[in-house]
Amino acid sequence: MSDPAFLSLEKLTLAYGDTVAVKDLDLSIRKGELVAFLGPSGCGKTTTMRSIAGLLKPQSGRISLDGADITRVAANRRSVGLVFQSYALFPHLTVFENVAFGLRLKGLSGAELESRVGTGLKSVGLTSFADRKPAELSGGQQQRVALARSMVMEPKVLLLDEPLSNLDARLRLEMRTELQRVQRETGVTMIFVTHDQGEALSLADRIVVMLNGAIEQIGTPEEIYNRPASAFVADFVGFENIFAVENGKLRAGNGPIELPEPLPQDAAGLAWRPRMVTLGSGPFQGTVRGASFSGSTREYLLDTPLGALKAEVDAAVPAHAAGTTLAFDLPVEKAAKLERFN
Amino acid sequence: MNSRLFPVTVLVLVTAFLIGPFFIIVAASLSEGETLAFPPQGLSLKWVAKVFEVESFRESFAMSMLLAIGGTAAALALGIPASYALSRYRLPFGETVRTVVSLPIIVPGIIVGLALLRYLVVPFGFNITLALFLAHTALVLPYAVRVVSASLNNLRSDIEEAAVLLGSSRAGAFFRVVMPNIRSGILAAFILGFVTSFNQVPVSLFLSGPGVRTLPIDMLSYMEVTYDPSVAALSALLAFMSIGIVFLAERFLGFSRYV
Amino acid sequence: MFHNRAEALALALPAAVFAAVVFLAPVVILLAEGFRNADGWSVSAYSGFLSDPLNRTVFLRTLRLGAAVTVVAAVIGYAAAFAIVNLPPKGKGRMIGLVVLPLMISPVARTYAWIVILGRTGIVNQALTSVGLTDEPVRFLFTETAVFVGLLQLFLPLMILALISALENMPKDAIPAARVLGANWFQVFWKVILPLTREGLVIGGTLVFTGSLTAYITPAILGGSKVLMLETLLYQRVTVANDFVSASVIAFILIVMSFAANLLLKRLATARSKR
Repeated sequence: MSDPAFLSLEKLTLAYGDTVAVKDLDLSIRKGELVAFLGPSGCGKTTTMRSIAGLLKPQSGRISLDGADITRVAANRRSVGLVFQSYALFPHLTVFENVAFGLRLKGLSGAELESRVGTGLKSVGLTSFADRKPAELSGGQQQRVALARSMVMEPKVLLLDEPLSNLDARLRLEMRTELQRVQRETGVTMIFVTHDQGEALSLADRIVVMLNGAIEQIGTPEEIYNRPASAFVADFVGFENIFAVENGKLRAGNGPIELPEPLPQDAAGLAWRPRMVTLGSGPFQGTVRGASFSGSTREYLLDTPLGALKAEVDAAVPAHAAGTTLAFDLPVEKAAKLERFN
Repeated sequence: MNSRLFPVTVLVLVTAFLIGPFFIIVAASLSEGETLAFPPQGLSLKWVAKVFEVESFRESFAMSMLLAIGGTAAALALGIPASYALSRYRLPFGETVRTVVSLPIIVPGIIVGLALLRYLVVPFGFNITLALFLAHTALVLPYAVRVVSASLNNLRSDIEEAAVLLGSSRAGAFFRVVMPNIRSGILAAFILGFVTSFNQVPVSLFLSGPGVRTLPIDMLSYMEVTYDPSVAALSALLAFMSIGIVFLAERFLGFSRYV
Repeated sequence: MFHNRAEALALALPAAVFAAVVFLAPVVILLAEGFRNADGWSVSAYSGFLSDPLNRTVFLRTLRLGAAVTVVAAVIGYAAAFAIVNLPPKGKGRMIGLVVLPLMISPVARTYAWIVILGRTGIVNQALTSVGLTDEPVRFLFTETAVFVGLLQLFLPLMILALISALENMPKDAIPAARVLGANWFQVFWKVILPLTREGLVIGGTLVFTGSLTAYITPAILGGSKVLMLETLLYQRVTVANDFVSASVIAFILIVMSFAANLLLKRLATARSKR
C-alpha cells in the first residue's frame, strides 16, 4: 500500500500538565478512510482526537494533514470538523443559525449562505426544523444538526466523539447508516472514537485499538476480530479464554498445561472464543458451574484445571446440568495466536 | 486554550487589586513612624495599642457591638415569625408583606437615617440611640427574612403536621420540630446581619451625636482630623474580626449555602 | 393546618408594621417634602435643583462614574471569571474565597487603603518619583480617578461572582465547538460567551451600577468635597445648609434608580426560573 498518508501523526506525545496521556504515537490515515479509535476510557483515544482538532497542543511530535504540517496551527484555522459527544449546539441560536455559524465566520451571507445551509439541513433530513431551537429537538435530531454544522464546512477530516454511545438501539442503527451514507457520498476522511467494539467493527474501514496512551493494534475489523495481536485486544473483542504460552505449554492457574498438539513457536499466548471450545469430547475434563440460554446458543461456565472456561454450544444440543463433568478440548488450529501477552 | 500565561496573569493582578490594599493597611498599621505611610518605617505595635487607648474608639466600638447584636436579635425576633408565615401559609397579601419587609435593601441607607432624624428624633426628642437601634433593625430585617425563609423552604411542612398528630401543640411543634432544623439557618442569618450592621455607615451618618456614634462613623471623623496610622490599625483589626467570624461560620455551618 | 389566616397575619404583621412605621413612613414623608412648596404640590424643587449647575454636575458625574465602573468591572470580571472557572476544583474554591473575602471587610477599611496608595507620599507617587516620571508628587486623591478606583475595588467581586455563576451554567463544549468551526477568540466571546452569559452580566452590572450610584464612604473618603457624588452632596446639603428640600430631591432620584435596578433583577430572576 503506497497511498500517500492524508493525515499522519508522527511520534506524537500528548500530556495534560505533568500527566502523559499519549506517548510517541505513529499513525497514518488515507484519504477517504473511516477509522475507529477503539479502547477503554483513559487509553488516550479522545486525547488524540482532540489534538487532531487543535484543542490540545502536542508536547512533541508532528501532525500533518494533506501535505501540510498543522502541529502548531490554531484550532480555528484547521480544516477539521468535530462532532462533540454532547453535540455542543449553541442553545441561543436556531437550527439554521447553528448550521450557518461557521459559514458566517467565513464571510458567507445572503443567498449563498441560505443555499449551503439548506443543502446541509436537507442532507440530514431536518429542513423543516430550521427555525427551531436546540432545546426543542430530540437527542437524535440534535446530533444530526451537529453533523450538518460540521459537514457544511467541507472539512478535510471529520472527527466524531462517541457518536453512537448516547443513542438507544434503534437510533444507533439509524445513525450508523447515516454516517456511512455521508461518508460514501462526500468521501470525507472520518475518524470516530468509541469504547464499544460492536460500533467499531460495524462502521470502520480500519480500527486502531489503543491502551494506556499507545496503539495496541491497527487492522481491518476482520483482522481485529479474528486475529487479535495481544491479550488485551483479544479480551476487548470478546475472546473469553485467553492464556499465556510458556515453554510450549499453556500457563494456567494451577500450573502449566500441555496440549496434545504442539503450540506455535512464536505465540506469546493463545485465545479461544467460547464457540471454539469443543464440548463433549477431548483430552480434558471440566465441571459445569453454570449455564445461560440466549436464544440460539447456550453458554457454559466450566471449572477446569485451566481455571474457569467459557464454552458456547448450539441451543439444539440438550442442556448439561450444573455439576456435570464433561470432556472438552481446546483445538490449537482454532485458536487466535497472540503476539503479545499483556 | 493551552496558554496558561494570560489567565494566570489576570488572576494575579485581580487578586493583588482586591486583596493588596488589605495587606497594605496591615503593614502601614505596624509602622514605627508618625504618619500613614507604606512601606512602613520600622515595625511597632504602638499604633495597634493606641487603638485600644482612644476612648472614643472604645465607646463607639461598644455602640456598634450593641447595635449589631441587638439590632440583629430584634430583626430575627420579627423576621422568624414573618418568614414562617410567608413560607407555610398562603397569605392574602403575602407578596406585599415580603416586599415591604425587603424594602430596606433597596432604599439607600442614608435616606433612612435622614428620615428618622427629621421625623422621629428632632420633632419628638426621640432618643438618638433608640433611633439608631430601630434603623439597624430595619436594615437587617430583609436579610433575616430572606435567609430564614430559605431554610424554611428547604424543610418539609409535613413533619409539623406529624408532630401535631402525635399530640403536640402548634407552638410546641414549632419549637420542638422546626427550630432545631432551621437553627443553622438562623445562626447564618445572625452572622450575616451582624456583619452588615457592624460595617454599615450611611444609615448611621445622621443619627450620631455626642457620645452616640458607631465605630465606622467615629473612624471617619477621626480621619478628618488626623492622618496617623491608628485608623489603619483599627481598620485592620476590624477586617480580621469580620474575616474571623465569617471563616468560623463557614467552617461550622457551611455558611455559603444560605447567602 | 396552615389555613388559619388570623394566625398567619399575627405572625407576619409585627415585621410588616415595624417596617412600615419605622422605615416606610418616614421615607415617604421625606420624599413628599420634595414635591411640596409654599403653594402645595409642585415639582418646583426638582426644577430648582436641576437648574443649579453644581447639582447637574454631581448628578451627571455620579451616573458617569457608575457607568464607567460597571463597564470596566464587566471587562475585568469576564477575564477573571473565565480564568477561575477553568481552574481545578481546589484552586477554584480558593480563588472564589479570595474574591468573596473583601466583601466581608468594612468599606471604610477597604477605601482607607487607597489613601496610603494614592496619597502624596503614597506608593504610586513613590514609584513615579523614583523612576523619574515626575518631579513632584501627583495629586491622585480627591479626583474622580480615585473615586473610580475605590468603587471598582469595592464592587468588582460582585461582578466576578455573577459572571462565574453564568459561565458555569454555559454548556461546556460550546467554546471548543465554536473554535473548531473557525472562530477566533474575539468571535468566541462575542458570538457565544456573551449571549449565553447575558443574564449573569445584567445581574452583576445592576449590582455594580446601583452600588456605585448609592455609595457614600468611598466618595466621602476619596473624593471629599472636591468630587461630590449624589450621596455626599446630600450629606453636605443637610449638614451645611439645612437644605432638606434638596435632600429630598436627591433621595427620590436615588430611590428611583435603585428601584428600577431591583425591578430589572426581579424580572430576570423570574424569567430564568420559568425556563
